Amino acid sequence: MAEKNKSQAAHAHDDQHTQEHFREKHLMLDPLPRGQMNDMVMEAMTSKPTWKYWLTVIILGSIVLYGLGYSWYRLIVEGLGIAGVNRPSYWGIFLVNTVFWIGISHAGTFISAILRVFKAEFRRPFTRIAELMTTFGLVQAGFSIFMHMGRAWLSYWLMPYPNERLLWPNFHSPLSWDLLAITTYLLSSTMYLFLPLIPDLAMARDKSTGWRKTFYRILAIGFRGTEGEWTHLRHAMNIFAYAIIPVMFSVHTIVSWDFAAATRPGWNSTIYGPYFIIGALHSGMGAAAVVLAVVRGTMKNMTYFIRGEHFDAIGKLMLIISMGWAYFYFNDYIVQWYGGDKWTKALLHFHEAGPLGWMWLSMLIVNIAIPWAVLWNSKWRSNPWIISIVGILINVGMWFERYLIVPVSLSINRMPFTWRLYIPAVEVYLSLGTLALFILFYVIASKLIPFIPVWEVQEGQLAHKLSKFGRETVVTVSELE
Amino acid sequence: MTETVNLLAVFPDLEPASDAVEQLRTLGVTDDHMNVISGVPVTEPMLGRPHAWTNVPRIALGGAVLGMSGAFFLIFIVPYLYPYPIQVGPQAYVPGPPSFVILFEITMLGTLLSTFLGVWLESFFPNYRRLPYVPEISDGKIVVFFTCPEASQDKFTKTMTALGAEKVTIAEARQL
Amino acid sequence: MATVTDLNISEVKLSEEYVGKWGMFINQDVCTGCQACVAACSMENNIAFVGPEDAGYGRTMNWIRIERFWDGEYPEIKMTSRQPMMCQQCGHAPCEPVCPAFATVHSQAQQLNLQVYNRCVGTRYCANNCPYQVRSFNWRDYKRPEPLPNQFNPDVTVRQRGVMEKCTFCIQRIHQAEDKARSEGREVADGEFTTACAQVCPADAITFGRVDNPESLVSQLTKQYEGLKHLPELGTLSNVSYFKGG
Repeated sequence: MAEKNKSQAAHAHDDQHTQEHFREKHLMLDPLPRGQMNDMVMEAMTSKPTWKYWLTVIILGSIVLYGLGYSWYRLIVEGLGIAGVNRPSYWGIFLVNTVFWIGISHAGTFISAILRVFKAEFRRPFTRIAELMTTFGLVQAGFSIFMHMGRAWLSYWLMPYPNERLLWPNFHSPLSWDLLAITTYLLSSTMYLFLPLIPDLAMARDKSTGWRKTFYRILAIGFRGTEGEWTHLRHAMNIFAYAIIPVMFSVHTIVSWDFAAATRPGWNSTIYGPYFIIGALHSGMGAAAVVLAVVRGTMKNMTYFIRGEHFDAIGKLMLIISMGWAYFYFNDYIVQWYGGDKWTKALLHFHEAGPLGWMWLSMLIVNIAIPWAVLWNSKWRSNPWIISIVGILINVGMWFERYLIVPVSLSINRMPFTWRLYIPAVEVYLSLGTLALFILFYVIASKLIPFIPVWEVQEGQLAHKLSKFGRETVVTVSELE
Repeated sequence: MTETVNLLAVFPDLEPASDAVEQLRTLGVTDDHMNVISGVPVTEPMLGRPHAWTNVPRIALGGAVLGMSGAFFLIFIVPYLYPYPIQVGPQAYVPGPPSFVILFEITMLGTLLSTFLGVWLESFFPNYRRLPYVPEISDGKIVVFFTCPEASQDKFTKTMTALGAEKVTIAEARQL
Repeated sequence: MATVTDLNISEVKLSEEYVGKWGMFINQDVCTGCQACVAACSMENNIAFVGPEDAGYGRTMNWIRIERFWDGEYPEIKMTSRQPMMCQQCGHAPCEPVCPAFATVHSQAQQLNLQVYNRCVGTRYCANNCPYQVRSFNWRDYKRPEPLPNQFNPDVTVRQRGVMEKCTFCIQRIHQAEDKARSEGREVADGEFTTACAQVCPADAITFGRVDNPESLVSQLTKQYEGLKHLPELGTLSNVSYFKGG
């Protein structure tokens, strides 16, 4: 009898221990009252900015003013001559950045739409942070395209409307598709960011005073949370989650067609569409890990919402995507290599042994070798420092990859007389400007937009339970939606 | 019909709220005269409420059709609007594969724009009028909002309190 | 069993049978590389003067260029023949479909690639997609040193910064000749006019004329020398033929 009691007590102790273990590990099994979570998110958002915050804003703001403001002004007034573009590298870093930022923007949709559709529960606390990446990244991509145009002030000519001579834009051109696709993607990702934000804005409205009250009252557009409002919102979010996935795929595929549709050695490849998409996700997931780590490290109360499990999950995705990228890259490479076309051969040789061969080699190291060497270990994956360093390296590698595709590949063509290197000039400042603006958007948004979708977190916490199967305690999720 | 009054009962959790909905029904309040406001999406079956009708998917479909018609206009009509056809490279005036790209993008644009618009239309957003509301909803409370005869206000209040309501008050329209 | 004739190859045949209207024959063997054509073209078409710095960085704006090649390593080098390169006026031009603004389109009447300067927004996609790399972009507002501003050709537009431009086969001369012939009620005769580059070439390396007329000098020379097109594998159906004996 006494023995039985003892073993029961031991079991109970074990159970408690297991529960503690699960609570510590999983946000979804560590529920807090809704009011407390609201307060935590509000505190993170409304706490008085420190001097470090203002210093960051000032530094970023100056880089934006110089890089985007002054340098772009110079570019418009003096012409593209102050940039490094030449014949044959008619496209330079501008297009590298466009592809790069559109790539970054893909992770947001991937996390918030694909993971939502497949009910990957770890997405819940960081869908918003990822969606912001989509919108902010696309703005930089748009800037980069407009900078690159010879007569940027006439860019509205590409909109689908007839001009005074009833001429419409040319829908044969991949650039026209690009314009339509990026516009569609920017609009729909912004709407998709806004829809799940409405209940959180309503929360912020109820919890704030002063100018913030007015601000959130306007933004929350009168949302109360009636059954009807939730039903409309749920249906709309469902439609968005499914419909935005093909839009996202189409955007980067069309960007790849800008290159693949051209009659150039190296570019004219049928695998470019999926190769660009996997590349976009590669850099995007890396950037998502970095953003999450920074948000967790700098904002209040975020260690509760963003935990090792989230970095672990993102790290797994990064590893898989890195393998996918390697697969597609090799696929593209071997076919080009085997084809034996002399221009393609010259181009591949130029990539590997040319003056920028170091870039090619480091691309392979940071895009493949480092993620594979680090991300297999769940302890390392869960560490925000390690994963954000890997994330930054992957982004550098993916930027190198785009640099190799755009100006370096453009250096080699079928007219050897025109072969020439591209040396970036004012583009460097403009690139830094877009990077600073991207970060600045986040820094400002962190004080204005609730970064954690509290209602989604609570919904997840309601759905998660610990169940016992025989002697084992496991996590179960019920499908509430 | 006698004079009626709008009441709202604040419940801490889902269980008492769903009990309250059932109790109200036995007391003669029809589903049309009830509404539940919550800070997390609470589905109708959880509360035993009839399925709320939404036109969002229909509006989305309408937008898709509109977008597709717009795309067809750009693909098939526009190239023939010019006084003389414009030839680019070896491509036909209505190029096959590029037309699919245009068709896809503009259809999706129409679908997603109208889905978004659908939420605004269906929920009467933006709405800055005074509405019955309590801010506790954001903190996870569930509010059952119902209409009852003024004479039996006390009876309803008691019933709701007995079911676990933290607060039962007359629903006042307030600035959100 | 399916035979070749069962296959629908009409489209392929059509492209092979394509004959343009205006064309050129270039005899590389007689080209001396004197660059007179480059200078004449610049004068005729109001081409900007980019200066040595930009020219050294690959921003020359010449619509025609003389490409020099050599065999072997310095000092044992052997010059091969010079190669004048200008817009090949492709029948199936890769530059045309990629312009989002219809700034480069195909002229049905002249079978030339038109460049509409005032419609160009400067995406430079056409230049990337040109396998011959013959398009030039206005990178800056280039100043013309004195006395060059005094010799603008009034028949040719001066291009703004930020637009693409390229060889037009001196379309202003084509139109002038056609207008003159029409007013006199006759056809344009072969050799009645020629492009600026062909006109000044001291070695007569460049011959311009109607390639759809088998009697014209350019057709005769192309036939006699078995002139070859550049990069025919791309299916661009260019209208310039080259001859290089060695």
